[in-house]
Amino acid sequence: MLAELINPYYLQVASFILINIILGVSIYITLSTGQLSLANAGFMGIGAYTSALLTLNFDLPIIVGILAGTLLAGVFGILIGIPTLRLQGVYLAIVTLGFGEVIRVIFVNWESMTKGAVGLSGIPHMGRELLNTLKDFGFDPKILGLQNNQFVFLAIFLILLGVTISIIAFFRRQNRSRVGRAFAAIKLDEKAAESMGINITYYKVLAFAQGALVAGFAGALFAHVLAYISPADFAYHRAVEILIFAVFGGSEVIWGPVFGALFLTVMPEVLRFISEYRYMIYGLIIIIMMAVRPQGLIDVNILNWVKLKTPKRRQKHGTSSQKSI
Amino acid sequence: MLIEQLINGITLGSIYAIVALGFTLVFGVLGIINMAHGEIFMFGAFIGVVVTSTFKGPLWLAFLAAITVTAAMGYLLERFALRPLRNKQGVSHLAPLISTIGVSILLENLSHHIFGPGNHPFRASFAEISFQIGSITVYLVQIVIFVISVLLMYALSFWLGKTKAGKALRATAENLETASLLGVDVKRTITMTVIIASAMGGIAGILVGMAFNSVTPQMGLSIGLKGLAIIILGGMGNVKGAMAGGLILGLAETFVVVYGDSGYKDAIAFAAIIIILLIRPQGLFGQKISA
Repeated sequence: MLAELINPYYLQVASFILINIILGVSIYITLSTGQLSLANAGFMGIGAYTSALLTLNFDLPIIVGILAGTLLAGVFGILIGIPTLRLQGVYLAIVTLGFGEVIRVIFVNWESMTKGAVGLSGIPHMGRELLNTLKDFGFDPKILGLQNNQFVFLAIFLILLGVTISIIAFFRRQNRSRVGRAFAAIKLDEKAAESMGINITYYKVLAFAQGALVAGFAGALFAHVLAYISPADFAYHRAVEILIFAVFGGSEVIWGPVFGALFLTVMPEVLRFISEYRYMIYGLIIIIMMAVRPQGLIDVNILNWVKLKTPKRRQKHGTSSQKSI
Repeated sequence: MLIEQLINGITLGSIYAIVALGFTLVFGVLGIINMAHGEIFMFGAFIGVVVTSTFKGPLWLAFLAAITVTAAMGYLLERFALRPLRNKQGVSHLAPLISTIGVSILLENLSHHIFGPGNHPFRASFAEISFQIGSITVYLVQIVIFVISVLLMYALSFWLGKTKAGKALRATAENLETASLLGVDVKRTITMTVIIASAMGGIAGILVGMAFNSVTPQMGLSIGLKGLAIIILGGMGNVKGAMAGGLILGLAETFVVVYGDSGYKDAIAFAAIIIILLIRPQGLFGQKISA
């Protein structure tokens, strides 16, 4: 029964949804300080290529590769973040767009290392490596009543699910902390925040580096889930795709980009005939959202409304929650 | 050899300059970066291909058709992607940028469906005609491109500097509200600016089609990003800076192909963006910006 439900195709789609959610979170973090970064596709590429090359060339364990890729993307985030903080608004968007293109051109041209436009194939697959390791310990997926294939995709899905939930939980906590309040203050008014004693340079670099770190992490996961990467995976279209998760879902609360990533990844899979027109629809969505609802579908009001409609929680909090609303 | 490359570079640069002028006009008046400009330019090139190759029409008709279509697209862009965002409460200053990114994605994929992917050759009837001056070969196409570019830049400078409409445009660029108080029809000026910028993009599209003899749906993105690099190089909203920036980038790219690694040709523009914005954010010819 269980074995029939676990369809590798659905699990694969679910895994991509989770990776896209992580990417959505990465752009949300920089947006939560009011900065628009279009470099996240580039950071994702850095994470993916670093991890893939380390595991391919040096036979390092996947987890080491992923950590190295994530950290390198974060380091680049700091390096790019510090000088670009002098720039604001559209200028920052353009510099980050330019950075993404430079990264892509380097991937295409550094053929001895990255195999150019052809891309890297045969990257160690996260699920299969895990299965092989477990088999050495005498584990067989048949004990659980699963085929090898099913186990591989289930394992990937569960790992990604755990990782995604931890990331969302972390940033939800951060939002309620001193750091999150500083981010919100900077987003509302930089000068006012500065005069209140908030070190805006520190917090802006922090947000930028966190965004890069998370994007690099998503990239490294992407490489080991797909087992194949090419420079085209991290080009302008990816940057726009990440942007639209936040534009469509909303960038005021973390659930916005999460919902955006979920909806926009599922939509082309469910409605097959749409997938050909995917980017045209993306374009239309961006134009319409900006004109009609620039804060995205999910904002603070909607979240409060949803909370009100959930009776259990309301009772639990008693009268105190009503006061706060 | 050197002089031939110089001519190639100037030809390329003058096309870049026209693309950049479209960006700079819109930025100067509206203060927004029109990310869809590259795609409108690409549509202009495709209209040129359709008129000259499919219908075997003459070149002047191609120019006329491209200008008409791209001007209409400029109007639609202003009407549906930019106007709804203007004067609206609580809209972030990033909204117009994101909105035009949406238009660019839409147009790029639309042209994929209408014209198909891949390379479309652009045959100008005089593409093969060339002159020998001493040991130097000059193609007629290059001269045509250069002359049209110079004429266009001159016409634009004249229009901006000497006509009433140009004065209104400059006033609007200086301060939208004040211009409106002084009796400038701001709404009409803005619409006209976007239309003119788009039509110039259409002309540039045909010129690029003639210069490279190939038109693809992806060219909008790459040329658009280069136009962006140029206005940053020359200073945002600065007309003379855009021309100079275009020539600098055209020459730099040509000489990198000749003396360096042609693979990194496309990276020059972006590296230039990054370096300029970090060292001299107001651009080579710009005045100090107060963010």
